[in-house]
Amino acid sequence: MIITFKGAKTYIGTGGKSLVNTKRTLCFLHGSGQNHLSFIQQARFFAYKGYSVIVPDMPAHGFSDGNPCKSIKENAEWINDLLVELNLKEVVVIGHSQGCLVALELNRIFKSFLKSVIFVAGSNKIPVNQFLLDLSKDNPQKASKMMVTWGHGIDGDLSINKWPGHSHYGEGNNIMCMNKPTALKHDLNSCNDYLDGIDASKKIEVPTLAVLAKNDQMTPLKSGLKFVELLKNCETHILDCGHFLPSERPMELNSIINSFLLKLE
Amino acid sequence: MSENYKFDTLSLHAGHIPDKETGSRAVPIYQTTSYVFNSTEEAASLYNMEVGGHLYTRISNPTVAALEQRLAALEGGASALACSSGMAAMHLVVSAICSNGDHIVASSKMYGANINLLQHTMPRFGVKTDFVNPNDPDAIERAIKPNTKLVFGEVIGNPGLDIMDVPEIAKICNSKNIPLVLDATFNTPYLMQPFKHGANIVVHSLTKWLGGHGIAIGGAIVNGGNFDWGDKDKFPTISGPHFALGGISFWEEFGPSALIAKIRAEGMYNFGPSLSPTNAFHLMQGIETLPLRMKKHIENTHSISDFLVNHEMVEWVKHPDLETHPDHQVAKRILPKGSGSIVAFGIKGGREAGKAFIESVQLASHLANVGDAKTLLIHPGSTTHSHLSSEAMKEGGLTDDMIRLSVGLEDIDDIKKDFEKGFKAVKKLNK
Ligand SMILES: Cc1ncc(COP(=O)(O)O)c(C=O)c1O
Repeated sequence: MIITFKGAKTYIGTGGKSLVNTKRTLCFLHGSGQNHLSFIQQARFFAYKGYSVIVPDMPAHGFSDGNPCKSIKENAEWINDLLVELNLKEVVVIGHSQGCLVALELNRIFKSFLKSVIFVAGSNKIPVNQFLLDLSKDNPQKASKMMVTWGHGIDGDLSINKWPGHSHYGEGNNIMCMNKPTALKHDLNSCNDYLDGIDASKKIEVPTLAVLAKNDQMTPLKSGLKFVELLKNCETHILDCGHFLPSERPMELNSIINSFLLKLE
Repeated sequence: MSENYKFDTLSLHAGHIPDKETGSRAVPIYQTTSYVFNSTEEAASLYNMEVGGHLYTRISNPTVAALEQRLAALEGGASALACSSGMAAMHLVVSAICSNGDHIVASSKMYGANINLLQHTMPRFGVKTDFVNPNDPDAIERAIKPNTKLVFGEVIGNPGLDIMDVPEIAKICNSKNIPLVLDATFNTPYLMQPFKHGANIVVHSLTKWLGGHGIAIGGAIVNGGNFDWGDKDKFPTISGPHFALGGISFWEEFGPSALIAKIRAEGMYNFGPSLSPTNAFHLMQGIETLPLRMKKHIENTHSISDFLVNHEMVEWVKHPDLETHPDHQVAKRILPKGSGSIVAFGIKGGREAGKAFIESVQLASHLANVGDAKTLLIHPGSTTHSHLSSEAMKEGGLTDDMIRLSVGLEDIDDIKKDFEKGFKAVKKLNK
């Protein structure tokens, strides 16, 4: 659906079903340079399972206009205001990569409605090397391409995909190209500048789930494993793939999330 | 395209990795119509396009999917769909994008069935086409109307071998938000990848060079993923609510792969031109050696065209890599590895000479196909176009002395020797 939010056209994927704000809502938060399409195989899956689903395109991402947020805190405030605007009663936040950092900050401000936080390919910090930071400013298209290549495991290189006919690289590149060119540099700088993750992680009281990737080159497994130790009550799974878990291992990820959600009650 | 693996590697490996259970190195032929669901829930999620997977071979099949993913990787596209023939691919694309009242701009110099579909069949369903010279970007721009939904042409035209200036035409299409759809059968991704030049959708007859051995008919659509279908008034069945799946918007839900998702949910579902898994396997075997074959095809093509150019019995030779070809400069720019292995030439002595030549060669096969590993020949004047006068043939851009040669992979000296037999017969006739 498209709404006007903070004066800008804002797209919110709902998995092909209408949003019912009285139901428990799963809110998916995309990663750096991504948009709602990084959760293609999650949005419809959970919407058709009966959950209310929202997958917002952050400002300047996907189909959303507006200026990109310039820090993790700004992203979290934007999401917080959106959840309030949509009048959601009970929310499970599912972040991927940068979305995990946003979820950590959101936990501080949106606490009362938050039922649980799910971290996919996440960590409490995501440092970005200077080369990629510079490239995202000078040539965001090239930077996107490099991220798509690094981000996938062997399945990306060989176009191995459970979704018949789809190429991880071709699709991934074009998803990133849909964003405004300035979106990526702000995302990557936001990640790199975020240093409050340890404290934010310790503050989480709700049950958490972390699904990490064995061959993650963007948020390495080592960093993810240190992160989950900071979380009080975290169920952790490791899948054999790269950083783009939602498209590389959709069935496995959906099934882990689904079982976790069923246990939440 | 993968940054890590290069083209030759992808030709062999993309789309398949040995599974843990059997370790089968070759892509298995999944000769099955359907797939057992683990639960009703799983069945529903496949029908609802919640996640990828197979439910019925008319829609998708694991062997066919390996071929599709290999093609997507080789073209650098977002997704691909393989189907029963090149013409099926063409029809699937046109019917997915256009509806009653829509308009197409297409090249006037294309394969007969491509022309027929647009000139005679689609108008019956309210989709009209204006044909323009593919070498004239200005004419293409002028032909575009408010209801134009796609621009279509062949990178290397069959049989005239006209070369489209793809980057120039892509610029025009891009500025008007109209997808550029290209038949890339004659170039294959080895010689040129249209998405790198700004095209949006590629159709292939896999029957030809990609399959490469003249044993299986097949087609494919590769979706560049680089087109914005968001204009709901212009592309209502892709971005607006579609009857399938409770009013799905393919563009919103699938983004770069919207077109392929729509073709699977509508075209494959309702028309059903599926590719048999066994044919997919044969076509993939061909693709494994595409780089090697294309190199040799081009090498042999250059050798035989030199031979023909210098032959006393040959009136003219047409190939875009020859400086005498009107599109030679465009060919050099967009097809630097070579512009395919079809050569057209005229034999001294007209229609009768052509007939005598064809009937006297032994190695080169006289048949209606191109892109086989074996050398193929056809003389339109005594076969496909025998019912037409010389004048009528000229109007269609053909001459009655013309022979279309699809250069194979034989030792080219043997083909030259074979051709000498044909020329000898023509000489006898001309005496
Ligand atoms: C350029 C071109 N496109 C499409 C086709 C149709 O292919 P198929 O025979 O696989 O339907 C052909 C067949 O000759 C062709 O030459």
